[in-house]
Amino acid sequence: MFALSIWVLRGIIAVILISLVASTAGTFTVFKGATFFVSGIAHAVLAGAAFGIFITLYFFPFPEFLMTIFFAIFFALAIGYATHRSENVDVSVGIMFAFSMSLAVLFLAMIKEYASVAWGLIIGDLLLLSQEDVLWMSIAVLLILLLFLIFRRKMLFSIFDPEGAEAMGVNPYLYETLLYLLVGIGVVVIMKGVGAILVYALLIIPAAAGKRLSKGVLATGLFALLFSLLSGFGGIALSVLSGITPSALAGLIATFIYFLSYLKRGTVKVP
Amino acid sequence: MIEVRNLTVKYDGHVALENLTFSLEHPSFLVILGPNGAGKTTLLKTFLGLIPYEGEIRIFGKEPREVRNLLGYMPQRDRINRSVPLRVKDVVMMPLLVTIGLKKEVVKRAREALRGVGMEKYWNADFRSLSGGQQQRVFLARTLARNPKAILLDEPFSATDVATKMAVIKILHRLKRERTIILVTHDVNPLVECTDKVLLLNRKMIGFGRLIDVITEENMERLYGTRVPIIRRENVCYTVGGDIHVRP
Ligand SMILES: Nc1ncnc2c1ncn2[C@@H]1O[C@H](COP(=O)(O)OP(=O)(O)OP(=O)(O)O)[C@@H](O)[C@H]1O
Ligand SMILES: [Mg+2]
Repeated sequence: MFALSIWVLRGIIAVILISLVASTAGTFTVFKGATFFVSGIAHAVLAGAAFGIFITLYFFPFPEFLMTIFFAIFFALAIGYATHRSENVDVSVGIMFAFSMSLAVLFLAMIKEYASVAWGLIIGDLLLLSQEDVLWMSIAVLLILLLFLIFRRKMLFSIFDPEGAEAMGVNPYLYETLLYLLVGIGVVVIMKGVGAILVYALLIIPAAAGKRLSKGVLATGLFALLFSLLSGFGGIALSVLSGITPSALAGLIATFIYFLSYLKRGTVKVP
Repeated sequence: MIEVRNLTVKYDGHVALENLTFSLEHPSFLVILGPNGAGKTTLLKTFLGLIPYEGEIRIFGKEPREVRNLLGYMPQRDRINRSVPLRVKDVVMMPLLVTIGLKKEVVKRAREALRGVGMEKYWNADFRSLSGGQQQRVFLARTLARNPKAILLDEPFSATDVATKMAVIKILHRLKRERTIILVTHDVNPLVECTDKVLLLNRKMIGFGRLIDVITEENMERLYGTRVPIIRRENVCYTVGGDIHVRP
């Protein structure tokens, strides 16, 4: 009973890694108001996986994980650039969203019977992660944390006051794009564990709830960390007890916490 | 000291500023007046070295890019993302943290700057919960915390009530003894006492000089494209036009 299965252990490590991304890059994405971006990247990842399988089937072996990373990076840069030109994140993400979804459907049609592998990314499963998955996740998350720690102040300045930042020689587009890159890579690794839909639940909702409850950036990040850990661990625990997939349960807990955050009196009104 | 000679700024071929020439001593107080789209923000950004230009600009003897750390900039209010959960101290320290890092001296300078605008007791407050006028004062403190030799303010009075406006002007009045202040506004009326020079801008330079010489019925008509009546009484004159009330 007390011997945790290796799968549960990996799930727990994954939750910790996800929570670290949620409390850093996830929080800043909420500040930027670019949460839709997370869903956009998730679809690019789906397209990337399908394309990777397609290449492997018809041409030469190509690790699909690498392809998803390429797609995520490409879409993050494209959205960063489009935002710079049109000055509206929502529109640029929307266009990229449509583009990547079309690509995904196209490649999925071409890989026919193997499509289920790519579709697995839509659901994801915290309790089905391999040793290799967890290793890749850890490396990617360490990289994200490192870059976040180095550039957090400039990113925050760029999000809060792009013109003021620019006047100080801090290029806001550069740091916004860096944030998109961090989140994009984060989405790739997290999706394996929680799937395309719930990556949003664990990356964005904890930060959104945290923002409602706190006055400062650090407090928001800590709340996001706490909520994300609670949702992930809760999801795994309930899953072990019930046999239902953990990501769905984690998503439910995250949304529940968000609604609870409304109960706190005197929360800050956010325009 | 700022010297501008034959300054022209284009955005993809579209001319935003055309052939401006003027010079300003240090320290002094310059007010820039002009209709929407006149190029006022463009001029400030050109001073900050953010926009390529033709002609010549010398700020304290150097090119704009070289004097960035001598200039403080307060952007137009509507450009700020006010949903970020920041404490007042975080807002004031932000530029210093980016350039210097978290040091004792930074905290001290931020505190002094906040005291200077009468917002010291809000040090730990949630920036989002402040009124528009209080936020403007925090921004002014943020600009001053870097101790710039010249301060560029883009419409600092938009969405502020009379009391805040007067409080900010009082601060600026005190600052102008040792700093050059360049302020973009749509209403020169409350600034009469501190203004040294006025620049009337509508892509081209319509006028530059002392308030009393520059604000004439003829110039105002050229500036806004509509007749702006001016009322003169003793040595003070008021111009009244739409929402513009100018008392040189
Ligand atoms: N980044 C840009 N790219 C292209 N054109 C621009 C850009 N920024 C400003 N313009 C154009 O340059 C002209 C001057 O704009 P600017 O923002 O300097 O005016 P303004 O005097 O500050 O106006 P307002 O009173 O509305 O703030 C306008 O016609 C504007 O459309
Ligand atoms: Mg402007």
